[in-house]
Amino acid sequence: MSDILTFIVFILLAGLAIGSALAMVAQRNPLYSAISLIGVFGALAGLYLTLAAPFIAAVQIIVYAGAIMVLVVFVIMLLNVEEEVRRPVRLRYLVPTAVLLAAVLFAEAAFILFYVNDAPAPPSPLATAEPSTTGLTASIGTGLFTTYLLPFEITSILILMALVGAMTLARRTAARPQDLVVPGAQVLPLQMVEPARVGDDTPVRSDTTAEAARTLGLNEQEQTRE
Amino acid sequence: MDWLNNLVGPTVARGIFQFIGINVAFVVVLMIVAYTVLAERRVLGFIQGRLGPNRVGPGGILQPFADLLKFIFKEEIVPDKSTRFIYFLAPFLAITCALMPIIVYPFGPEIHIPGTRIVFPLVVARFDVALLYVLAITSVGVYGIALAGWSSNNKYSLMGGLRSAAQLISYELSLGLSLVGVVLLSGTLDLYEIVGQQGGWHGLRWNIIFQPLGFIIYLISAIAETNRVPFDLPEAETELVAGFHTEYSALKFALFFMAEYVNMFTVSMLATTMFFGGWQGPGVSTFPLLGIFYFLGKVICFLFLYIWLRGTLPRFRFDQLMNFGWKFLLPMAILNLIITATVVFFFGT
Repeated sequence: MSDILTFIVFILLAGLAIGSALAMVAQRNPLYSAISLIGVFGALAGLYLTLAAPFIAAVQIIVYAGAIMVLVVFVIMLLNVEEEVRRPVRLRYLVPTAVLLAAVLFAEAAFILFYVNDAPAPPSPLATAEPSTTGLTASIGTGLFTTYLLPFEITSILILMALVGAMTLARRTAARPQDLVVPGAQVLPLQMVEPARVGDDTPVRSDTTAEAARTLGLNEQEQTRE
Repeated sequence: MDWLNNLVGPTVARGIFQFIGINVAFVVVLMIVAYTVLAERRVLGFIQGRLGPNRVGPGGILQPFADLLKFIFKEEIVPDKSTRFIYFLAPFLAITCALMPIIVYPFGPEIHIPGTRIVFPLVVARFDVALLYVLAITSVGVYGIALAGWSSNNKYSLMGGLRSAAQLISYELSLGLSLVGVVLLSGTLDLYEIVGQQGGWHGLRWNIIFQPLGFIIYLISAIAETNRVPFDLPEAETELVAGFHTEYSALKFALFFMAEYVNMFTVSMLATTMFFGGWQGPGVSTFPLLGIFYFLGKVICFLFLYIWLRGTLPRFRFDQLMNFGWKFLLPMAILNLIITATVVFFFGT
Protein backbone atom coordinates (compact mmCIF):
# COMPACT_ATOMS: atom_id res chain seq x y z
CA MET A 1 0.00 0.00 0.00
CA SER A 2 2.56 2.54 1.09
CA ASP A 3 4.95 1.36 -1.67
CA ILE A 4 2.36 2.24 -4.32
CA LEU A 5 1.75 5.60 -2.62
CA THR A 6 5.49 6.34 -2.57
CA PHE A 7 5.73 5.42 -6.24
CA ILE A 8 2.81 7.66 -7.20
CA VAL A 9 4.31 10.57 -5.23
CA PHE A 10 7.68 9.96 -6.89
CA ILE A 11 6.17 9.99 -10.39
CA LEU A 12 4.24 13.18 -9.62
CA LEU A 13 7.27 15.00 -8.17
CA ALA A 14 9.67 13.79 -10.85
CA GLY A 15 7.23 14.84 -13.56
CA LEU A 16 6.83 18.25 -11.93
CA ALA A 17 10.61 18.66 -11.68
CA ILE A 18 11.26 17.72 -15.33
CA GLY A 19 8.30 19.71 -16.60
CA SER A 20 9.33 22.83 -14.68
CA ALA A 21 12.94 22.44 -15.83
CA LEU A 22 11.84 22.25 -19.48
CA ALA A 23 9.52 25.23 -18.97
CA MET A 24 12.39 27.20 -17.42
CA VAL A 25 14.51 26.76 -20.55
CA ALA A 26 11.67 27.23 -23.00
CA GLN A 27 10.10 30.37 -21.50
CA ARG A 28 11.06 33.70 -23.06
CA ASN A 29 9.86 35.85 -20.19
CA PRO A 30 12.65 35.79 -17.55
CA LEU A 31 10.19 36.00 -14.64
CA TYR A 32 8.33 32.90 -15.89
CA SER A 33 11.68 31.11 -16.11
CA ALA A 34 12.44 32.10 -12.52
CA ILE A 35 9.05 30.83 -11.32
CA SER A 36 9.59 27.54 -13.17
CA LEU A 37 12.96 27.20 -11.45
CA ILE A 38 11.24 27.66 -8.08
CA GLY A 39 8.94 24.82 -9.13
CA VAL A 40 11.99 22.61 -9.81
CA PHE A 41 13.38 23.36 -6.34
CA GLY A 42 10.02 22.63 -4.70
CA ALA A 43 9.73 19.28 -6.51
CA LEU A 44 13.32 18.38 -5.56
CA ALA A 45 12.54 19.16 -1.91
CA GLY A 46 9.56 16.81 -2.15
CA LEU A 47 11.81 14.09 -3.61
CA TYR A 48 14.25 14.51 -0.69
CA LEU A 49 11.30 14.05 1.68
CA THR A 50 10.36 10.75 0.02
CA LEU A 51 14.01 9.68 0.50
CA ALA A 52 13.62 10.31 4.27
CA ALA A 53 15.96 13.34 4.30
CA PRO A 54 13.74 16.09 5.80
CA PHE A 55 16.71 18.30 6.78
CA ILE A 56 18.02 18.46 3.21
CA ALA A 57 14.49 19.15 1.96
CA ALA A 58 14.01 22.07 4.38
CA VAL A 59 17.43 23.52 3.58
CA GLN A 60 16.70 23.20 -0.15
CA ILE A 61 13.58 25.33 0.28
CA ILE A 62 15.15 27.85 2.68
CA VAL A 63 18.35 28.44 0.71
CA TYR A 64 17.32 28.02 -2.92
CA ALA A 65 13.60 28.80 -3.12
CA GLY A 66 13.52 31.21 -0.18
CA ALA A 67 16.74 33.19 -0.56
CA ILE A 68 18.52 32.82 -3.90
CA MET A 69 15.41 32.81 -6.07
CA VAL A 70 13.94 35.76 -4.14
CA LEU A 71 17.06 37.72 -5.09
CA VAL A 72 16.76 36.60 -8.72
CA VAL A 73 13.09 37.61 -8.85
CA PHE A 74 14.00 40.89 -7.12
CA VAL A 75 16.60 41.73 -9.77
CA ILE A 76 14.27 40.78 -12.65
CA MET A 77 11.56 43.01 -11.17
CA LEU A 78 13.95 45.86 -10.38
CA LEU A 79 15.55 45.99 -13.83
CA ASN A 80 12.25 45.19 -15.58
CA VAL A 81 14.01 42.67 -17.85
CA GLU A 82 12.07 42.40 -21.09
CA GLU A 83 11.03 39.33 -23.00
CA GLU A 84 13.73 37.68 -25.01
CA VAL A 85 13.47 38.13 -28.80
CA ARG A 86 14.28 35.14 -30.99
CA ARG A 87 17.53 35.75 -32.89
CA PRO A 88 19.34 33.69 -35.53
CA VAL A 89 21.96 31.45 -33.90
CA ARG A 90 25.35 33.04 -34.35
CA LEU A 91 27.64 30.34 -33.00
CA ARG A 92 26.59 27.52 -35.34
CA TYR A 93 29.18 25.02 -34.14
CA LEU A 94 27.45 24.94 -30.73
CA VAL A 95 24.50 22.94 -32.08
CA PRO A 96 26.39 19.73 -32.99
CA THR A 97 28.48 20.10 -29.81
CA ALA A 98 25.29 20.23 -27.73
CA VAL A 99 23.92 17.11 -29.44
CA LEU A 100 27.19 15.28 -28.82
CA LEU A 101 27.33 16.28 -25.14
CA ALA A 102 23.69 15.29 -24.64
CA ALA A 103 24.43 11.89 -26.17
CA VAL A 104 27.37 11.41 -23.76
CA LEU A 105 25.13 12.40 -20.83
CA PHE A 106 22.41 9.94 -21.79
CA ALA A 107 25.01 7.21 -22.32
CA GLU A 108 26.27 7.84 -18.78
CA ALA A 109 22.74 7.66 -17.38
CA ALA A 110 22.12 4.41 -19.27
CA PHE A 111 25.40 2.96 -18.00
CA ILE A 112 24.44 3.76 -14.42
CA LEU A 113 20.95 2.34 -14.90
CA PHE A 114 21.98 -0.95 -16.53
CA TYR A 115 25.38 -1.81 -15.03
CA VAL A 116 25.95 -0.01 -11.75
CA ASN A 117 22.40 -0.70 -10.57
CA ASP A 118 22.79 -4.44 -11.15
CA ALA A 119 26.06 -4.76 -9.25
CA PRO A 120 25.65 -5.93 -5.63
CA ALA A 121 25.69 -2.86 -3.41
CA PRO A 122 28.66 -2.72 -1.01
CA PRO A 123 27.56 -2.60 2.62
CA SER A 124 27.31 1.10 3.40
CA PRO A 125 28.72 2.03 6.82
CA LEU A 126 25.89 4.50 7.35
CA ALA A 127 23.20 2.01 6.42
CA THR A 128 24.51 -0.77 8.63
CA ALA A 129 25.19 1.36 11.72
CA GLU A 130 21.90 3.16 12.26
CA PRO A 131 19.80 3.42 9.12
CA SER A 132 17.00 5.41 10.76
CA THR A 133 19.10 8.49 11.64
CA THR A 134 20.71 9.03 8.22
CA GLY A 135 19.52 12.30 6.72
CA LEU A 136 18.22 13.63 10.03
CA THR A 137 19.51 16.86 11.51
CA ALA A 138 21.68 15.34 14.22
CA SER A 139 23.59 12.95 11.94
CA ILE A 140 24.20 15.66 9.32
CA GLY A 141 25.42 18.09 11.99
CA THR A 142 27.72 15.48 13.53
CA GLY A 143 29.12 14.60 10.13
CA LEU A 144 29.69 18.22 9.11
CA PHE A 145 31.48 19.19 12.29
CA THR A 146 33.60 16.06 12.89
CA THR A 147 34.42 13.95 9.80
CA TYR A 148 33.99 16.69 7.20
CA LEU A 149 35.09 19.70 9.27
CA LEU A 150 37.95 20.79 6.99
CA PRO A 151 35.98 20.72 3.70
CA PHE A 152 33.13 22.50 5.49
CA GLU A 153 35.40 25.30 6.76
CA ILE A 154 37.16 25.64 3.40
CA THR A 155 33.78 25.97 1.67
CA SER A 156 32.72 28.69 4.12
CA ILE A 157 35.94 30.64 3.50
CA LEU A 158 35.43 30.25 -0.25
CA ILE A 159 31.92 31.67 0.01
CA LEU A 160 33.19 34.53 2.20
CA MET A 161 35.86 35.34 -0.41
CA ALA A 162 33.23 35.36 -3.16
CA LEU A 163 31.08 37.72 -1.05
CA VAL A 164 33.93 40.15 -0.40
CA GLY A 165 34.95 40.00 -4.06
CA ALA A 166 31.42 40.75 -5.25
CA MET A 167 31.20 43.71 -2.88
CA THR A 168 34.55 45.08 -4.02
CA LEU A 169 33.50 44.82 -7.66
CA ALA A 170 30.07 46.32 -7.08
CA ARG A 171 31.18 49.22 -4.90
CA ARG A 172 31.89 52.15 -7.19
CA THR A 173 34.58 54.63 -6.18
CA ALA A 174 32.98 57.76 -4.76
CA ALA A 175 32.65 60.34 -7.53
CA ARG A 176 33.99 63.87 -7.26
CA PRO A 177 31.36 66.64 -7.24
CA GLN A 178 32.43 68.17 -10.56
CA ASP A 179 31.98 64.83 -12.38
CA LEU A 180 28.31 64.64 -11.58
CA VAL A 181 25.63 66.49 -13.48
CA VAL A 182 21.97 66.36 -12.63
CA PRO A 183 19.54 66.45 -15.57
CA GLY A 184 17.29 69.48 -15.58
CA ALA A 185 17.96 72.86 -14.01
CA GLN A 186 18.17 72.03 -10.32
CA VAL A 187 20.81 72.14 -7.61
CA LEU A 188 21.13 69.04 -5.48
CA PRO A 189 23.50 68.06 -2.66
CA LEU A 190 25.98 65.37 -3.64
CA GLN A 191 24.57 62.81 -1.20
CA MET A 192 21.32 62.60 -3.20
CA VAL A 193 23.17 61.71 -6.41
CA GLU A 194 25.94 59.47 -5.14
CA PRO A 195 24.88 56.93 -2.47
CA ALA A 196 28.48 56.41 -1.38
CA ARG A 197 28.79 60.02 -0.20
CA VAL A 198 26.18 60.12 2.56
CA GLY A 199 26.28 63.39 4.47
CA ASP A 200 28.13 65.30 1.76
CA ASP A 201 26.19 68.47 1.05
CA THR A 202 28.44 69.80 -1.75
CA PRO A 203 26.11 71.16 -4.45
CA VAL A 204 26.21 69.31 -7.76
CA ARG A 205 26.50 71.39 -10.97
CA SER A 206 23.23 71.29 -12.83
CA ASP A 207 22.55 71.85 -16.50
CA THR A 208 20.12 71.03 -19.29
CA THR A 209 19.18 67.39 -19.90
CA ALA A 210 21.15 67.14 -23.12
CA GLU A 211 24.24 68.62 -21.51
CA ALA A 212 23.88 66.25 -18.57
CA ALA A 213 23.54 63.24 -20.83
CA ARG A 214 26.69 64.20 -22.73
CA THR A 215 28.66 64.62 -19.52
CA LEU A 216 27.43 61.30 -18.13
CA GLY A 217 28.47 59.58 -21.37
CA LEU A 218 25.03 58.56 -22.60
CA ASN A 219 24.78 58.33 -26.38
CA GLU A 220 22.11 59.81 -28.62
CA GLN A 221 20.13 56.56 -28.96
CA GLU A 222 19.62 56.15 -25.25
CA GLN A 223 18.50 59.74 -24.93
CA THR A 224 15.77 59.38 -27.52
CA ARG A 225 14.52 56.19 -25.94
CA GLU A 226 14.28 57.80 -22.54
CA MET B 1 -9.51 4.37 17.31
CA ASP B 2 -9.00 0.60 17.36
CA TRP B 3 -11.96 -0.24 15.14
CA LEU B 4 -10.76 2.30 12.56
CA ASN B 5 -7.26 0.79 12.68
CA ASN B 6 -8.70 -2.66 12.06
CA LEU B 7 -10.93 -1.43 9.26
CA VAL B 8 -8.48 0.46 7.02
CA GLY B 9 -5.00 -0.12 8.45
CA PRO B 10 -2.82 2.18 10.57
CA THR B 11 -1.49 4.38 7.70
CA VAL B 12 -4.90 5.40 6.41
CA ALA B 13 -6.29 5.77 9.94
CA ARG B 14 -3.46 8.17 10.81
CA GLY B 15 -4.11 10.02 7.56
CA ILE B 16 -7.79 10.43 8.45
CA PHE B 17 -6.96 11.74 11.92
CA GLN B 18 -4.44 14.20 10.51
CA PHE B 19 -6.95 15.40 7.93
CA ILE B 20 -9.49 16.08 10.68
CA GLY B 21 -6.78 17.73 12.81
CA ILE B 22 -5.68 20.02 9.97
CA ASN B 23 -9.23 21.16 9.33
CA VAL B 24 -9.99 21.79 13.01
CA ALA B 25 -6.73 23.76 13.38
CA PHE B 26 -7.48 25.84 10.27
CA VAL B 27 -11.03 26.65 11.38
CA VAL B 28 -9.90 27.62 14.89
CA VAL B 29 -7.08 29.80 13.57
CA LEU B 30 -9.25 31.48 10.93
CA MET B 31 -11.94 32.27 13.53
CA ILE B 32 -9.34 33.80 15.85
CA VAL B 33 -7.92 35.73 12.91
CA ALA B 34 -11.37 37.08 12.01
CA TYR B 35 -11.81 38.34 15.55
CA THR B 36 -8.27 39.74 15.61
CA VAL B 37 -9.35 42.03 12.77
CA LEU B 38 -12.37 43.15 14.78
CA ALA B 39 -10.25 43.56 17.93
CA GLU B 40 -7.75 45.62 15.97
CA ARG B 41 -10.44 47.99 14.74
CA ARG B 42 -11.99 48.35 18.18
CA VAL B 43 -8.68 48.78 20.02
CA LEU B 44 -7.40 51.27 17.44
CA GLY B 45 -10.67 53.10 17.91
CA PHE B 46 -10.11 53.38 21.65
CA ILE B 47 -6.46 54.41 21.17
CA GLN B 48 -7.57 57.17 18.80
CA GLY B 49 -10.46 58.30 21.01
CA ARG B 50 -13.36 56.96 18.91
CA LEU B 51 -15.66 53.95 19.11
CA GLY B 52 -14.80 51.68 16.19
CA PRO B 53 -17.31 49.27 14.57
CA ASN B 54 -20.00 48.40 17.15
CA ARG B 55 -23.22 48.17 15.08
CA VAL B 56 -23.32 44.63 13.61
CA GLY B 57 -24.54 42.39 16.42
CA PRO B 58 -24.05 43.13 20.13
CA GLY B 59 -20.88 45.23 20.48
CA GLY B 60 -19.97 44.59 16.82
CA ILE B 61 -19.49 40.87 17.40
CA LEU B 62 -20.76 39.89 13.92
CA GLN B 63 -18.67 42.48 12.06
CA PRO B 64 -16.14 39.92 10.61
CA PHE B 65 -18.97 38.02 8.89
CA ALA B 66 -20.44 41.21 7.47
CA ASP B 67 -16.99 42.12 6.13
CA LEU B 68 -16.58 38.70 4.55
CA LEU B 69 -19.98 38.89 2.83
CA LYS B 70 -19.05 42.32 1.51
CA PHE B 71 -15.75 40.99 0.13
CA ILE B 72 -17.52 38.11 -1.60
CA PHE B 73 -20.10 40.30 -3.34
CA LYS B 74 -17.76 43.12 -4.40
CA GLU B 75 -16.93 43.46 -8.09
CA GLU B 76 -13.69 41.80 -9.22
CA ILE B 77 -11.55 44.21 -11.20
CA VAL B 78 -8.62 42.83 -13.21
CA PRO B 79 -6.26 45.42 -14.73
CA ASP B 80 -6.07 45.20 -18.54
CA LYS B 81 -2.28 45.14 -18.76
CA SER B 82 -1.73 42.72 -15.88
CA THR B 83 0.02 39.37 -16.29
CA ARG B 84 -3.14 37.35 -15.84
CA PHE B 85 -1.88 33.99 -14.56
CA ILE B 86 0.56 35.38 -11.97
CA TYR B 87 -1.99 38.00 -10.95
CA PHE B 88 -4.37 35.18 -9.98
CA LEU B 89 -1.63 32.97 -8.53
CA ALA B 90 -0.18 35.54 -6.10
CA PRO B 91 -3.03 35.76 -3.50
CA PHE B 92 -3.30 31.98 -3.36
CA LEU B 93 0.44 31.69 -2.79
CA ALA B 94 0.22 34.23 0.01
CA ILE B 95 -2.63 32.54 1.91
CA THR B 96 -1.27 29.00 1.35
CA CYS B 97 2.16 29.89 2.73
CA ALA B 98 0.51 31.65 5.66
CA LEU B 99 -1.66 28.64 6.59
CA MET B 100 0.85 25.83 6.04
CA PRO B 101 3.01 26.30 9.20
CA ILE B 102 -0.02 25.96 11.51
CA ILE B 103 0.13 22.15 11.51
CA VAL B 104 3.39 21.87 13.48
CA TYR B 105 2.49 24.05 16.48
CA PRO B 106 1.55 22.20 19.67
CA PHE B 107 -1.71 23.77 20.88
CA GLY B 108 -1.66 21.79 24.12
CA PRO B 109 -0.34 18.71 25.92
CA GLU B 110 -1.62 15.18 25.41
CA ILE B 111 -5.32 15.08 26.20
CA HIS B 112 -6.86 11.97 27.77
CA ILE B 113 -10.61 11.68 27.25
CA PRO B 114 -12.04 10.48 30.61
CA GLY B 115 -13.72 7.08 30.63
CA THR B 116 -11.93 5.90 27.47
CA ARG B 117 -8.42 4.82 26.51
CA ILE B 118 -8.15 7.55 23.88
CA VAL B 119 -5.08 9.78 24.25
CA PHE B 120 -4.16 12.27 21.60
CA PRO B 121 -1.66 15.16 21.46
CA LEU B 122 -2.96 18.58 20.42
CA VAL B 123 -0.56 18.87 17.51
CA VAL B 124 -1.37 17.85 13.94
CA ALA B 125 2.10 16.77 12.78
CA ARG B 126 5.28 16.12 14.72
CA PHE B 127 8.53 15.81 12.87
CA ASP B 128 12.26 16.16 13.28
CA VAL B 129 12.69 19.49 11.44
CA ALA B 130 9.49 21.30 12.45
CA LEU B 131 11.26 24.61 13.07
CA LEU B 132 13.08 24.49 9.73
CA TYR B 133 9.77 23.67 8.04
CA VAL B 134 8.25 26.83 9.54
CA LEU B 135 11.21 28.96 8.41
CA ALA B 136 11.14 27.40 4.93
CA ILE B 137 7.45 28.11 4.37
CA THR B 138 7.83 31.64 5.74
CA SER B 139 10.68 32.33 3.35
CA VAL B 140 8.57 31.18 0.39
CA GLY B 141 5.68 33.42 1.46
CA VAL B 142 7.40 36.52 0.05
CA TYR B 143 6.61 35.39 -3.51
CA GLY B 144 2.92 36.07 -2.97
CA ILE B 145 3.62 39.75 -2.30
CA ALA B 146 6.49 40.20 -4.78
CA LEU B 147 4.62 38.55 -7.67
CA ALA B 148 1.43 40.46 -6.84
CA GLY B 149 3.38 43.69 -7.10
CA TRP B 150 4.99 42.72 -10.40
CA SER B 151 1.96 41.24 -12.17
CA SER B 152 -0.35 44.20 -11.42
CA ASN B 153 1.63 46.35 -13.87
CA ASN B 154 1.35 49.40 -11.65
CA LYS B 155 4.30 51.43 -10.43
CA TYR B 156 3.06 51.63 -6.84
CA SER B 157 2.43 47.89 -6.74
CA LEU B 158 5.89 47.21 -8.18
CA MET B 159 7.52 49.45 -5.57
CA GLY B 160 5.61 47.62 -2.84
CA GLY B 161 6.67 44.22 -4.17
CA LEU B 162 10.31 45.27 -4.44
CA ARG B 163 10.34 46.72 -0.94
CA SER B 164 8.78 43.61 0.50
CA ALA B 165 11.30 41.32 -1.21
CA ALA B 166 14.24 43.40 0.05
CA GLN B 167 12.79 43.71 3.56
CA LEU B 168 12.01 40.03 3.98
CA ILE B 169 15.43 38.93 2.73
CA SER B 170 17.09 41.31 5.20
CA TYR B 171 15.13 40.41 8.31
CA GLU B 172 14.89 36.67 7.66
CA LEU B 173 18.56 36.32 8.67
CA SER B 174 18.15 37.89 12.10
CA LEU B 175 14.90 35.96 12.60
CA GLY B 176 16.58 32.63 11.93
CA LEU B 177 19.68 33.46 13.98
CA SER B 178 17.64 34.61 16.99
CA LEU B 179 15.92 31.21 17.06
CA VAL B 180 19.22 29.31 16.88
CA GLY B 181 19.92 30.34 20.50
CA VAL B 182 16.83 28.46 21.70
CA VAL B 183 17.73 25.49 19.50
CA LEU B 184 21.20 25.41 21.09
CA LEU B 185 19.63 25.36 24.56
CA SER B 186 17.13 22.60 23.82
CA GLY B 187 19.18 20.56 21.35
CA THR B 188 16.25 19.80 19.05
CA LEU B 189 14.24 21.34 16.21
CA ASP B 190 11.04 19.54 17.22
CA LEU B 191 8.64 22.21 18.55
CA TYR B 192 6.72 19.68 20.69
CA GLU B 193 9.91 18.71 22.50
CA ILE B 194 11.06 22.33 22.87
CA VAL B 195 7.78 23.08 24.67
CA GLY B 196 8.11 19.91 26.75
CA GLN B 197 11.54 21.00 28.00
CA GLN B 198 10.17 24.30 29.31
CA GLY B 199 7.98 22.53 31.88
CA GLY B 200 10.26 22.89 34.94
CA TRP B 201 9.72 25.35 37.84
CA HIS B 202 5.93 24.63 37.89
CA GLY B 203 5.70 25.28 34.16
CA LEU B 204 7.52 28.63 34.32
CA ARG B 205 11.00 27.62 33.12
CA TRP B 206 10.54 29.56 29.91
CA ASN B 207 13.31 30.10 27.41
CA ILE B 208 12.99 33.88 27.55
CA ILE B 209 14.75 33.81 30.95
CA PHE B 210 17.87 32.44 29.23
CA GLN B 211 17.41 34.21 25.88
CA PRO B 212 16.18 37.78 26.54
CA LEU B 213 18.30 39.29 23.75
CA GLY B 214 17.26 36.53 21.36
CA PHE B 215 13.61 37.21 22.11
CA ILE B 216 13.89 40.96 21.46
CA ILE B 217 15.67 40.32 18.14
CA TYR B 218 13.02 37.73 17.23
CA LEU B 219 10.18 40.09 18.08
CA ILE B 220 11.56 42.95 15.97
CA SER B 221 12.35 40.77 12.96
CA ALA B 222 9.01 38.99 13.24
CA ILE B 223 7.17 42.30 13.04
CA ALA B 224 9.26 43.17 9.98
CA GLU B 225 8.56 39.76 8.43
CA THR B 226 4.80 40.25 8.75
CA ASN B 227 4.93 43.75 7.17
CA ARG B 228 3.31 45.39 10.17
CA VAL B 229 3.78 48.88 11.63
CA PRO B 230 6.48 50.22 12.02
CA PHE B 231 7.80 48.03 9.15
CA ASP B 232 4.77 48.29 6.83
CA LEU B 233 6.71 49.82 3.93
CA PRO B 234 5.41 47.37 1.27
CA GLU B 235 1.94 48.88 1.69
CA ALA B 236 2.79 52.33 3.04
CA GLU B 237 -0.46 54.08 2.18
CA THR B 238 0.95 57.60 2.48
CA GLU B 239 3.53 56.85 -0.25
CA LEU B 240 2.32 53.90 -2.35
CA VAL B 241 -1.53 54.11 -2.33
CA ALA B 242 -1.80 50.56 -0.97
CA GLY B 243 1.49 49.05 -2.13
CA PHE B 244 1.49 45.56 -3.57
CA HIS B 245 -2.29 45.07 -3.34
CA THR B 246 -3.29 48.38 -4.97
CA GLU B 247 -4.84 46.61 -7.97
CA TYR B 248 -6.54 43.82 -6.02
CA SER B 249 -10.22 43.89 -5.18
CA ALA B 250 -12.98 41.73 -3.73
CA LEU B 251 -12.03 38.22 -2.57
CA LYS B 252 -8.46 38.37 -3.86
CA PHE B 253 -7.83 41.39 -1.67
CA ALA B 254 -9.48 39.53 1.20
CA LEU B 255 -7.01 36.67 0.72
CA PHE B 256 -4.05 39.05 1.11
CA PHE B 257 -5.72 40.62 4.11
CA MET B 258 -6.30 37.21 5.72
CA ALA B 259 -2.73 36.12 4.89
CA GLU B 260 -1.35 39.14 6.76
CA TYR B 261 -3.32 38.34 9.90
CA VAL B 262 -2.65 34.59 9.71
CA ASN B 263 1.05 35.43 9.42
CA MET B 264 0.77 37.61 12.53
CA PHE B 265 -0.89 34.70 14.30
CA THR B 266 1.70 32.08 13.30
CA VAL B 267 4.58 34.39 14.20
CA SER B 268 2.99 34.94 17.62
CA MET B 269 2.55 31.18 18.00
CA LEU B 270 6.25 30.67 17.21
CA ALA B 271 7.23 33.31 19.78
CA THR B 272 5.02 31.61 22.39
CA THR B 273 6.37 28.16 21.55
CA MET B 274 10.04 29.10 21.45
CA PHE B 275 10.32 31.71 24.21
CA PHE B 276 7.22 31.59 26.42
CA GLY B 277 6.82 27.90 27.12
CA GLY B 278 3.99 27.19 24.65
CA TRP B 279 1.18 25.54 26.61
CA GLN B 280 3.29 25.22 29.78
CA GLY B 281 2.13 27.04 32.89
CA PRO B 282 1.26 26.46 36.54
CA GLY B 283 -1.21 23.62 36.97
CA VAL B 284 -0.97 22.08 33.50
CA SER B 285 0.40 18.78 34.81
CA THR B 286 -2.81 18.18 36.81
CA PHE B 287 -5.30 19.78 34.38
CA PRO B 288 -3.95 19.23 30.83
CA LEU B 289 -6.87 21.12 29.26
CA LEU B 290 -5.58 24.30 30.93
CA GLY B 291 -2.67 24.16 28.43
CA ILE B 292 -4.88 25.24 25.52
CA PHE B 293 -5.95 28.36 27.41
CA TYR B 294 -2.37 29.19 28.42
CA PHE B 295 -1.23 28.80 24.79
CA LEU B 296 -4.00 30.84 23.20
CA GLY B 297 -3.79 33.43 25.99
CA LYS B 298 -0.09 34.01 25.36
CA VAL B 299 -0.69 34.23 21.60
CA ILE B 300 -3.48 36.75 22.12
CA CYS B 301 -1.12 38.90 24.24
CA PHE B 302 1.26 39.02 21.26
CA LEU B 303 -1.60 39.92 18.91
CA PHE B 304 -2.55 42.75 21.25
CA LEU B 305 1.06 43.95 21.16
CA TYR B 306 0.83 44.11 17.34
CA ILE B 307 -2.33 46.22 17.52
CA TRP B 308 -0.84 48.43 20.22
CA LEU B 309 2.26 49.09 18.11
CA ARG B 310 0.10 49.94 15.11
CA GLY B 311 -1.81 52.48 17.16
CA THR B 312 1.26 54.23 18.57
CA LEU B 313 4.30 54.02 16.29
CA PRO B 314 5.21 55.90 13.08
CA ARG B 315 6.73 54.17 10.04
CA PHE B 316 10.44 53.68 9.29
CA ARG B 317 12.06 55.30 6.27
CA PHE B 318 13.42 52.70 3.84
CA ASP B 319 17.12 53.47 4.36
CA GLN B 320 16.59 53.44 8.14
CA LEU B 321 14.96 50.04 7.77
CA MET B 322 17.90 48.61 5.83
CA ASN B 323 20.54 50.15 8.12
CA PHE B 324 18.74 48.90 11.22
CA GLY B 325 18.36 45.38 9.85
CA TRP B 326 21.89 44.89 8.54
CA LYS B 327 24.02 47.06 10.79
CA PHE B 328 22.31 46.61 14.15
CA LEU B 329 19.95 43.65 14.30
CA LEU B 330 22.13 41.13 12.43
CA PRO B 331 25.33 41.82 14.48
CA MET B 332 23.29 41.61 17.68
CA ALA B 333 21.83 38.27 16.58
CA ILE B 334 25.34 36.93 15.81
CA LEU B 335 26.58 38.21 19.20
CA ASN B 336 23.69 36.47 20.95
CA LEU B 337 24.50 33.27 19.07
CA ILE B 338 28.19 33.41 20.04
CA ILE B 339 27.42 34.07 23.71
CA THR B 340 24.84 31.28 23.86
CA ALA B 341 27.13 28.80 22.11
CA THR B 342 30.01 29.63 24.47
CA VAL B 343 27.86 29.25 27.58
CA VAL B 344 26.33 25.99 26.34
CA PHE B 345 29.80 24.65 25.47
CA PHE B 346 31.32 25.38 28.88
CA PHE B 347 28.40 24.86 31.25
CA GLY B 348 26.05 22.49 29.41
CA THR B 349 22.37 23.20 28.92
